Amino acid sequence: MVDAARQPKIDVRAFTEVEKVEGFVGNFKVTLREKAKYVRADRCNGCGACTLACPVEVPNYFDMNLAPRKAAYVPMSQSVPLIYSIDMENCIHCYKCVDACGALEAIDFSQEDKLVEEDIGAIIVATGFSHFDPSVMDEYGYARYPNVITAMEMERLNNSAGPTNGDLIRPSDNETPKTLAFINCVGSRDKRYNPSCSNFCCMYSIKNAVLLKQMNPDVDITIYYIDIRTPSKGYEEFYNRAREMGIHFSQGRPSLITEDPETHNLVVHAEDVGLGLVTEKEYDMVMLSQAAIPQPDQNHMSSVLNVAQSPGGWFMEYHPKLRPMDSPTDGIFFAGACQGPKDIPSSVAQGSAAAARASRILHSEEWEIEPTVAVVWPDRCSATTKGRACGLCVKACPYGAVKIEGDKAAEIITAKCHGCGGCVAECPEDAITQLHYTDAQILSQMRALLADKPEEKILAFRCHWCSYGGADLAGTSHFEYTANERGMKVMCSARMDSDFIYEAFRLGAGGVLYSGCHPQDCHYITGQLVGAKRASRLKKVFDRMDMTEGRFRIEWISAAEGDKYARVLNEMQDVLDNISPDDLHEEIERLKPEMSKRLKNFPGVPGVEEAMVYSDKLVQAITSQLEAK
Amino acid sequence: MNHDTGVQTFADQVKALPGGEFLERCYACGTCVSKCMIQQKGELKYNPRRLLRLAMLDLKQEAFDNPTTWLCSACDLCYTACPQEIHISGVITAVKKIAVEEGRVTPIKTARVDQQTCVGCGLCTEGCPYQAISLVEKKVPFRGMIQVAEVDPGLCMGCGICSAICRSTSIGVPEENTDNEILDDLWSWMQHQEVRN
Repeated sequence: MVDAARQPKIDVRAFTEVEKVEGFVGNFKVTLREKAKYVRADRCNGCGACTLACPVEVPNYFDMNLAPRKAAYVPMSQSVPLIYSIDMENCIHCYKCVDACGALEAIDFSQEDKLVEEDIGAIIVATGFSHFDPSVMDEYGYARYPNVITAMEMERLNNSAGPTNGDLIRPSDNETPKTLAFINCVGSRDKRYNPSCSNFCCMYSIKNAVLLKQMNPDVDITIYYIDIRTPSKGYEEFYNRAREMGIHFSQGRPSLITEDPETHNLVVHAEDVGLGLVTEKEYDMVMLSQAAIPQPDQNHMSSVLNVAQSPGGWFMEYHPKLRPMDSPTDGIFFAGACQGPKDIPSSVAQGSAAAARASRILHSEEWEIEPTVAVVWPDRCSATTKGRACGLCVKACPYGAVKIEGDKAAEIITAKCHGCGGCVAECPEDAITQLHYTDAQILSQMRALLADKPEEKILAFRCHWCSYGGADLAGTSHFEYTANERGMKVMCSARMDSDFIYEAFRLGAGGVLYSGCHPQDCHYITGQLVGAKRASRLKKVFDRMDMTEGRFRIEWISAAEGDKYARVLNEMQDVLDNISPDDLHEEIERLKPEMSKRLKNFPGVPGVEEAMVYSDKLVQAITSQLEAK
Repeated sequence: MNHDTGVQTFADQVKALPGGEFLERCYACGTCVSKCMIQQKGELKYNPRRLLRLAMLDLKQEAFDNPTTWLCSACDLCYTACPQEIHISGVITAVKKIAVEEGRVTPIKTARVDQQTCVGCGLCTEGCPYQAISLVEKKVPFRGMIQVAEVDPGLCMGCGICSAICRSTSIGVPEENTDNEILDDLWSWMQHQEVRN
């Protein structure tokens, strides 16, 4: 960290928050709030005289509130840059620090927060994680029993630079504990709090146990665990070493901790799974390995940076396996636990990868983006035709890439567009198209697929990232599903225009599947929500038309759910099999005029007319070929 | 893709019953066992985690022979403690239901109805926490076709609440804490209290 601060090309802005991020890859405009430190950075030499003079003592957050700090302080002795600040919430304005600072005159009570705007090429987010508060778990008595501490508190007590200079003591009587219990998975792997595994707690429980045992071989340590997870290189060896050192491991999650009110010793009640018997053992001190959770302001940061969040609240990566350091927004990268709990080696690896990705942008004159971006025909936009832009495209865009200025037609900021197609499908004037997924292209495909016996076919709209992957998996896994399925790929369920669905039924399709990602998996942040809203609207329309239940179906299928894809298609086939051909034919013919009515503007979309002529020829060719056979 | 082999295993049977759905979620942390009051009362063979394991591995007869199947009183202390939110007493009830259907008899003493005095008021059916009592129309010697309470021995846990509720002392758990025994106990306890005071 000191090296980084000394590097002339690295500018460390401590005590600064990101207020606003605008612009796009290579051209971000970032507004920073440089908070008032009340100490002038250019004059402070880090001598610490102000801290010595300050009479105010408040709990030190860095020491997990186990020790005090002054109101004139640095967060920790290794702080970079080493510039003191005055905690104005607790300052009593005695100005002793000003006297102590003397001729340096570094203390400046007139400072105010400063808003600074910077031109930024790429952003790396490394906001880390927070800790689960175990006091909500009544059974472990944290915050009620003084000798139950968290792993982070242990980290400070055990640290030679910590409040006790590395002497482990019990909070109740300052005695050195002889017997300790460590409890893993406190609040993690627990459906009531955080269902996921926090990844690194097994290792740091073992690390703390080994450190304590090295310091004092007489100490007796038992680690209570559900499973010990030591999958990385050298980790299992470390675990074995801990066992050989005499650290006890007891499989079984404790259900209760009780306290002896006089000695403040603790009794841990747990089943020893190996024995199948309940053990009640007394310890001097208990450490809880609490779950890693997202930062409390993670939601706020996610909206400032415009990046999505995975289930559990962590920032969502572009691709879990292939691009784990990229955010879905170009030019924003993740490093470390803000993207999901991870240990130090993984955080370092991800950080280095993110830095390498970011430097690609800084070294490029031009930046390649996905070719499937949206394009506006300004003369069709309602701003031109009706004098007022409807703004539906702005609402649909998850990236803020659509701009409407005054009474001018909508404009797409191409560098920001990721090509979900939400605006294209939402536009009531059909004034926007998506390159490579134009209405005409999709229409031609659809007409070709439904050329022969459309009433037997099930047209399945799949999104590129999830349900297409699910269909692919169903195929590669040899899951059998109906041969009447005809798949159509678009980038996102947001692109599945209601016109396509109407047109499919107008052409006489037996069934239509509207499928995409699960809402939390959407690769276009909120694209799926745009699609889902439209799909449920369509469902209502078809219900009002009295269409047979199940002919139009909405399903969210992930790339891992090949079995679900196959099942859904087979169920749709069952629906079709249960309608007699005559009834189905009658229903299709009855609904055709309704569909045509809703499609009356569709042929006016540029390119669609030509596509119709072209696909008509194609359809004729296919049918005549079939007849010839 | 349907992987159904057509044979319903014991685990499938348990999962098909209400309460048994989440059987496979158990990752054997043992929280339920150390929370259990019956285990704490010295019944060492009583172990809900092991019963779930037996059910998962289709060890049907072993599950039926296990005291856990029969002794759980569904107090649900373990349910609130379970990190996987498995309704453990629901799983146990499901195993017990299958055991009773296959002719196993509960080793605990269950409530019996004296059909000669039962008036069929139905108070016991409302009081039973295990829904083990129902009113049935049946032919009773000397009384003809009348409505009387009937106990499902597969569901009864022998708690005795029905006995306390019954207005005509027609239902109760035989040989276990008759009204007189309890009154005697209470009487001696109260005298003991008086001495202490």
